[in-house]
Amino acid sequence: MIASGLPAGGDWIEALLVMVLVTGAFVVTRKDLLSLVSAYQLQSLLLSVIAVSLYLSNGSEMLLYLAVLTVTSKVILIPYAIKKIQKEIKISRDIDFHYLSPMESITAMIFLILLVYGSFTKILRELSPGDLFYLGAVFGISLTLMGMLITFSRKKVITKVIGYLTMENGVLLFSLFLTELPFMIEVLVMIDLFMIVLLAAILSIGVDSSVEEFREKFNAIHIPRLQKRFEHLRKRNGEEA
Amino acid sequence: MLQYYLLAAFAALALTQFLKSHKAMNLVAIAHAIACIAFAACLQYSGAIPVYYLENNLYIDALSTYEIFIAGTIFLLAAVYAGGHAESLIKIGILERKNLKGYYLSFNALLLFTVLAFSSNNLALFWIFAELTTFFTAFLIAILNSKKNIDASLKYIFVTSTAMLFSFIGLILLFALTEKTLGTGTLNWDVLLKNAKTFPAAPLAASFAFMFLGYAAKSGIAPLHTSLPHAYSKAPSAVSAIISAVMLNIGIYGILRIYSITRQNPGSAATCSNLLIAFGILSLFIAAFSMLQQKNLKKLIAFSSTEHAGLMLIGIGIGTPIAIYWTLYHVLAHSLTKALLFLSAGILNRQYDSNKIENIKNALKLQPLASAGLILGSLAIIGIPPAIVFITKFSILVQVAKFSTILLIAVLLLLLLAAAGFALFITAIFTRIDENDVMRRYPTPVRMKIPVIILIILVYGLGLFFPQPLDGALNSIVSGLGF
Repeated sequence: MIASGLPAGGDWIEALLVMVLVTGAFVVTRKDLLSLVSAYQLQSLLLSVIAVSLYLSNGSEMLLYLAVLTVTSKVILIPYAIKKIQKEIKISRDIDFHYLSPMESITAMIFLILLVYGSFTKILRELSPGDLFYLGAVFGISLTLMGMLITFSRKKVITKVIGYLTMENGVLLFSLFLTELPFMIEVLVMIDLFMIVLLAAILSIGVDSSVEEFREKFNAIHIPRLQKRFEHLRKRNGEEA
Repeated sequence: MLQYYLLAAFAALALTQFLKSHKAMNLVAIAHAIACIAFAACLQYSGAIPVYYLENNLYIDALSTYEIFIAGTIFLLAAVYAGGHAESLIKIGILERKNLKGYYLSFNALLLFTVLAFSSNNLALFWIFAELTTFFTAFLIAILNSKKNIDASLKYIFVTSTAMLFSFIGLILLFALTEKTLGTGTLNWDVLLKNAKTFPAAPLAASFAFMFLGYAAKSGIAPLHTSLPHAYSKAPSAVSAIISAVMLNIGIYGILRIYSITRQNPGSAATCSNLLIAFGILSLFIAAFSMLQQKNLKKLIAFSSTEHAGLMLIGIGIGTPIAIYWTLYHVLAHSLTKALLFLSAGILNRQYDSNKIENIKNALKLQPLASAGLILGSLAIIGIPPAIVFITKFSILVQVAKFSTILLIAVLLLLLLAAAGFALFITAIFTRIDENDVMRRYPTPVRMKIPVIILIILVYGLGLFFPQPLDGALNSIVSGLGF
């Protein structure tokens, strides 16, 4: 187990857990893209602090490495890449909520947390050594579901990426409180996450650009190619004659 | 032996990075696929399996070898096809020549990570490699110059990777479970299989359910299939064939591996079996009704993949050794037939620049080989004898009948609906004849024709002659999985 028994700073960790969920709620409801990334950064930082706190409560050294890995990748590298891409897209707000309004999202979020609490009580109690670990695991799954809610309820790809990252933070939180996976696996997962997020964020340039901007890019890049394609089709269809 | 294959794969990647001509890059991809087939064949015939690598994190058994062999064959045919297909996409401007390097690098990387996924003993490593295949597949879908391709690629990433995160939760649960029961946490499949009986049933079933979600998305199981019709229809046809005939197998392979663990545990076996059968029926239902109203050829074939993934789930869910035997054979049958359909559809797509029913006319006259491939492939996929799918579908249905009569009736009805969807579509496109149409014939490159011919021979040849070595291989897979 990551730390044996109930850690000495249990109240402190509980407070951190609540703050993580608050950042999740913030991501669910905010429209401003820059503050969404900042909320994600704060959420990741809180996870690192939780990892260090668990280490201080007789946890293994692996937690320290995990905290360093989280700060490097999720507090510095990934947000930096996303902010750079946001500048490229030139969209500052994601006002198009797909299916759910912010208020509906909050309601759905509360429902999800209660659902997780109710559904996983038996299983998680069986596997976790104490109340705090059980709470952390429940919050982890809840955060994952909140991330999923963002991924499927928001329209802009870049916001979906943040939803996906929030989901991954939920998985990390779950694993912090339930067990200790080999560090190599954590590193590989992080690399994999980084690759997927980067690809999605780069592709979002093509999709999330504003209509005017996309037309501009389209005219500059695609028109000669489309003309070529059109001519090719005409030739094939024998229209030239 | 794995080290030799890895050497070949890295050499293929390095060479592709330095080469400039399309022909050379294509030849490297072909050589890589041949190396993959040779690797699987050597393992099978040298008697070296099961074999462990990397401190037991990698493990190649009869099932891995079988899946690697199928993947290598499909990649080989797709690589040959891509040589002609990519060139024609460049000509019409939807693929840029400068992107060819990225195309072939991703192609080789996709094969490499597919082989590594099939060679993983550690389920977390399998998860990572499966995710990497998602990454490279998404890249290959997005390679064409179209906003719709980017959309399809993003949808594929979000649906698959989001579901795969739930799989990771399942892995964490499983690790915690083994830590509690065995004293040391492990995700090595062979250890899990050996000790599955001692695990508490409820957490084991919960971890299975979480893991199932990710692999279900990977294999196009409903309701997690939503990204696949877009991905299949927008991707270059060689890539569509790979997604349907190989990526789907990765998902099914993952489900089979984890199900074989839960199967050993009397408390969780029934729950997991019911879950598989329920999702199997749901997939058949959604696929059958979607196929009935389909107007897009590649989407029709995509929904047929969901239908067949559903049938495979039902076969696995029944879980008798004979059902698993025929499900495994169905994996091969489906891969070959689906590759035939997608590669034939790709030729028609080049002819009409469209996959839509209303744009396809005079197909038999303009593209006789692709038309033959499509008609024979359609007959095969709906299970008309003597195609290979007939034997596998029939044998799975016999097992379904032994399991439950109601289930048999439901499955039969849904399969008939799906077959009707195929029949309606194929009849519609091949009866559209317009004598006044002046459309010129698309000169199909020989490299696009060869894989179609080979696949027709394989799909019907394997239906007529059951290779004896395959019987031995399938039997050893079934016993290796503990069924």
